[in-house]
Amino acid sequence: MLAEDRLRKLQDLISTSTKEELIWINGYLSGLVGNDPANGNGHSTIAANGNGHAIPTTEKKISLAFGTETGNAKKLATQLATVAKKKGVNAKLMDLSQYRVTDLAKEDYFFVVISTQGEGEPPIPAKKFFDYIQENDLALSNVKYSVLALGDSAYPLFCKTGEDVDARFEKFGAKRVVPLQKCDVDYEDDALEWFEQVLDTIESKIVPVVGIIAAPVKKAGRKYYKGTILDNINLNDRGSNKATYHIEIGTDEVIAYEPGDTIGIVPRNRVEVVDQIIAITGIGRELEIATTKITAPVKELLTLHLNICYLLSSTIKKYAVIIGQEIPDTRMDLVDLLRIYPVLDAAQFEEIIKILTPVAPRLYSIASSPHAHGENEVHITVAKEMFLAQEEQRFGLCSEFLGDLPVQSPVIFYVHKDKNFKLPAPDKDIIMIGPGTGVAPFRAFLGERDATGASGRNWFFFGEEYFISDFFYQTEIQNYLQTGVLNKLDLAFSGDQTEKIYVQDRMLEKAAELYEWIHHGASIYISGEKDPMSKEVENTLLQIIETQGVKTRDESKQYFELLKKEGRYEKDVY
Amino acid sequence: MSKKDDLSPVERIKKASDGLRGTLKVSLQDEITGALREDDQSLIKFHGLYQQDDRDRREERSRKKLEWLYSYMIRLRLPGGFLTPEQWIGLHHIAGEHSTGTIKITTRQTVQLHGIIKSHIKPTIQSFNTFQLDSIAACGDVNRNVTCSAHPKESAIHEKIFAYADKLSVMALPKTRAYYDIWLDEEMIADKGEVDPLYQDRYLPRKFKMGIAIPPNNDIDVLTNDVGLIAIIENNELKGFNIAAGGGLSATHGNEQTYPRLATVLGFVAGEENVLKAVYVIMTIQRDYGNRNDRKLARLKYTIDKLGVEAFKEELEKRCGFQLEEAKSYRFNSRKDHYGWKQNHEGNWYYTLFIENGRVLDDEKAPLKTALLEIAKTGKANFRFTGNQNFILADIAAIDKETINELLAQFGLITHTDKAGALRKNAMACVAFNTCPLALAEAQRYLPSLISKIEPLLEKYNLQNEEIVLRMTGCPNGCGRSPAAEIGLIGTAYGEYNLHIGGDRMGERLNTKYKDSLDEEQLLQTLDELFSVFSKERSTGETFGDYSYKKWIANS
Ligand code: SRM
Ligand SMILES: Cc1cc2nc3c(=O)[nH]c(=O)nc-3n(C[C@H](O)[C@H](O)[C@H](O)COP(=O)(O)OP(=O)(O)OC[C@H]3O[C@@H](n4cnc5c(N)ncnc54)[C@H](O)[C@@H]3O)c2cc1C
Ligand SMILES: Cc1cc2nc3c(=O)[nH]c(=O)nc-3n(C[C@H](O)[C@H](O)[C@H](O)COP(=O)(O)O)c2cc1C
Ligand code: SF4
Repeated sequence: MLAEDRLRKLQDLISTSTKEELIWINGYLSGLVGNDPANGNGHSTIAANGNGHAIPTTEKKISLAFGTETGNAKKLATQLATVAKKKGVNAKLMDLSQYRVTDLAKEDYFFVVISTQGEGEPPIPAKKFFDYIQENDLALSNVKYSVLALGDSAYPLFCKTGEDVDARFEKFGAKRVVPLQKCDVDYEDDALEWFEQVLDTIESKIVPVVGIIAAPVKKAGRKYYKGTILDNINLNDRGSNKATYHIEIGTDEVIAYEPGDTIGIVPRNRVEVVDQIIAITGIGRELEIATTKITAPVKELLTLHLNICYLLSSTIKKYAVIIGQEIPDTRMDLVDLLRIYPVLDAAQFEEIIKILTPVAPRLYSIASSPHAHGENEVHITVAKEMFLAQEEQRFGLCSEFLGDLPVQSPVIFYVHKDKNFKLPAPDKDIIMIGPGTGVAPFRAFLGERDATGASGRNWFFFGEEYFISDFFYQTEIQNYLQTGVLNKLDLAFSGDQTEKIYVQDRMLEKAAELYEWIHHGASIYISGEKDPMSKEVENTLLQIIETQGVKTRDESKQYFELLKKEGRYEKDVY
Repeated sequence: MSKKDDLSPVERIKKASDGLRGTLKVSLQDEITGALREDDQSLIKFHGLYQQDDRDRREERSRKKLEWLYSYMIRLRLPGGFLTPEQWIGLHHIAGEHSTGTIKITTRQTVQLHGIIKSHIKPTIQSFNTFQLDSIAACGDVNRNVTCSAHPKESAIHEKIFAYADKLSVMALPKTRAYYDIWLDEEMIADKGEVDPLYQDRYLPRKFKMGIAIPPNNDIDVLTNDVGLIAIIENNELKGFNIAAGGGLSATHGNEQTYPRLATVLGFVAGEENVLKAVYVIMTIQRDYGNRNDRKLARLKYTIDKLGVEAFKEELEKRCGFQLEEAKSYRFNSRKDHYGWKQNHEGNWYYTLFIENGRVLDDEKAPLKTALLEIAKTGKANFRFTGNQNFILADIAAIDKETINELLAQFGLITHTDKAGALRKNAMACVAFNTCPLALAEAQRYLPSLISKIEPLLEKYNLQNEEIVLRMTGCPNGCGRSPAAEIGLIGTAYGEYNLHIGGDRMGERLNTKYKDSLDEEQLLQTLDELFSVFSKERSTGETFGDYSYKKWIANS
């Protein structure tokens, strides 16, 4: 029906569009042909597309933007877009990582679905957007908006990023049409409710609400597993500067997880530190205290529930107010704080306890696969965190806690799904870059691909300090090489020669072959230290695409973006 | 000769090795493991190295999902065991930089370094090369380090004889340039010029050893070698050598076909050319007639017993094209090192230093390593190793004696040597754990403490000054020459040793097993009984070896 060239144009457009874009185009076209006035706000969306010559329109323009790190917000936003579509509303789906901030002023209806990461930080892909609205003062008086915040009430700063975004838009004079909705780990229902309201406001001309109606927080429907430590081995040999534990956790019930997922564990505070705190403050250890979340005796609160390590500066500000003293903006352990800025008496410390946030769970990439290691086990690879504080050697709370757990001791954990960091189809090749504890998810990947007989090729880049003492899972990896499960292995031991060698150096040595693999559809995975490792590896990849693919910087950037869109470049970094 | 198809695997590896190169270069590149490819593990021995692993660490490493702690031992080719002070300084630093740091003097007058990891092998060999030191053919199915009585300059003739050690060593070197091309990055010449008339492409069926003794001292245990040369000196003139063949000490527990054997004196040969020729020919006979199917029966000793001594001698004379003369008479009156200061005919001085089991390191007993470095720095003494794992500071001019003596005193080495008891001073132990893969029991790590427990027994019977030769090995291979000792302790299992007695003091009669698998307590108790009887019944001057042979071995 269409002429050759026009058909080809259309096909080009389709082939280069992402799933979301297609959804939108789909809606747009049905809008164009269908002459229901409520629909067909395509023109204006073209304008929003900013492809130059806009056709003036009075129609509403609805944008649905998501900021995601592990994929929940994206998945959810896409669901909502289809819901809207069914109701004949075309919401334009946008990834905040791609969003041109200067377009904000042009928005009509702007809805944000965004998660919180780190210690109340935005997802990395949305950071650019977030920083922009934090650092700039915008006039958005004619923008109508609402924020759906994804979060996890197990963390101290629940839905912080969502709150921040909501607050900024209010500050910019934008009109909040639906109150900020905070969602816990079981977010679907709350999200749908929120979206119902969103759709209502769009259809009927409801006057925008002004004040914030704090949405009720639902209890986390999270599944916690009761596990026992089956084995706990320090993988580093004598003479190493590190301590890295291979921990096997067993459960009675089947654990629902896939390779690429992580588990969350809430560490216990150190008993001796808790005793010190109680001694310093003279508070009764058995004294029952009611905090926002839980009522329990002091000793239990301080050991199991409240964070006493490296307090958030916001908590320290509240502390300063309670003890009525100036404290410079800082972070430190409660016990150090109590030494430097003592509390008046036990009664005052009771107030302090009430401002303490819950102990945040720590995540550990699962190093096992249900097919390879059984459905009643998860393995993790935990590096003992070492750092200096108050001029003394200190260790990370959770990593030390786990490293010290003897076999047989109980441990409670939950599975944190990562929707993106997943194996591709069995016949697809994968490139795994995982120095240090970054090896963990790849031990899971290799185990899975071995057990399921996946035909795709596997290439692993590993790095550590010394070959002799720090080659994690060496014998297992050697076996995977022998049996052919692992097709290529490249190693970088930084400490074994005078000049430091890292995985990215090995990648450069193999640039041609790497590009070859990528070009033929291999997926790339990076796991391990966020800074500087993952950043340098990413730059190296760009460089390889540029040189090997004979592309300009921009072209290789585009190529790279394409990989991301296709889910062929995934990270599990921390 | 043997059928092709049942040749031992090593035979195939040698033939296919392209002049001992194999895939060594690839193995060295492989970063995934500290080990070599299997075939290369056999080939690297010909270059003077052994792949080993720290046996103390196996279990722990496996738990950690780490491979065994592989490392390499290098053994230098050091005919007659001689180093200049500069070379010793070099060795000292190379040991520190690439190995465990301990310098081990072997029972064949050379040194070994342990714990060299794969990536350090090449640098180690290259550094040695800068001091004109190599490890070519220190191991493998070729001629090993040639030993020679350790006091070569006691007379002008010793000098002359010592020169033979080097000549023999060079004569028996493999022709392949593999060593230079793999380790020293030597350009490969088109025509490798590696045609090897002696070793051909199959080398010998097994290791081959030669030693030269200068009577009356048998410090190198000449009869334990495949070929032993006994210098015949008449009124200060070297007449020639008695040639002995077929020595070897190893046996295998439970394998009746294997046995230790002392070399048989075949006859006398005069003149350098003929001496070298005779030795060369013996190697060719072993090459052609030696057993290539069963490595346990492949040493020359078995070849000779298979052919019969007479037939062997005939073949030798046929191939030489001359007859051996009637063996000349000689007499050994000692096998030990003469500790302390000695002077030679030229007026030069020597200091023979006691080094327990040949382990040169700084420990609570003595700062040996530091001391020897300081002494080497003076440049006033050469370094020699004895067949008893000890050390001679040699060729010290009269005027320099005091300087050296002061250093020795300063580091307490003189007392270290003097205060060691007679038993300790004449004892030897092999390496065994933790590096030797064949060890069944401890040796060098254990013997010192065991001797401390035996000494009181000797004192109890007033035997503490008897120079009894006691030797311990961690298995029946006999690296510490335990079968050729008055008391031989041969490991059978961890903490258990067979007790052998009845060997003579000069190394001309092997010992015989007296008791099986004794633990320390049983061992001490048995020795207590033997010593008590010996002290009461011995005739004056009779050695423990001779007495126990007569009493407990000969007529039983
Ligand atoms: C270092 C040394 C012992 C010492 O403490 O000094 C030694 C150490 C080893 N000997 Fe030996 N042998 C040493 C002198 C001897 C002697 C004594 C001698 O030659 O005066 C013997 C007995 C004489 C003989 O050859 O019959 C000896 C008979 C063996 C044997 C048995 C050979 C046989 O005929 O079956 C083996 C095992 C083998 O070759 O299969 C062996 C094998 C070994 C190995 C290389 C184990 C192995 O094959 O992997 C040992 C290395 C241990 C380590 O970690 O260092 N070693 N070995 C001696 C080095 C001499 C040298 O510088 O070349
Ligand atoms: C998705 C994901 C996957 C992960 N996978 C793994 C894995 O597979 N293996 C693994 O080992 N880790 C993994 N991590 C990291 C892990 O979750 C923890 O962050 C890590 O173990 C450190 O936690 P900790 O309680 O031991 O250290 P913490 O006690 O939380 O300390 C962490 C850091 O805080 C600072 N700090 C703490 N206290 C003080 C103080 N008093 N003064 C100054 N600074 C202080 C220090 O810089 C310290 O390094 C992962 C993280 C994420 C997000
Ligand atoms: C490392 C990490 C840190 C987190 N920190 C917080 C936090 O501080 N506050 C919060 O409410 N949720 C926190 N969460 C929970 C996430 O917001 C929640 O899992 C959300 O569903 C993730 O959505 P996404 O997949 O779109 O990124 C954290 C999750 C992870 C993995
Ligand atoms: S005698 Fe046995 S244990 Fe001792 S070094 Fe030789 S082979 Fe090893």
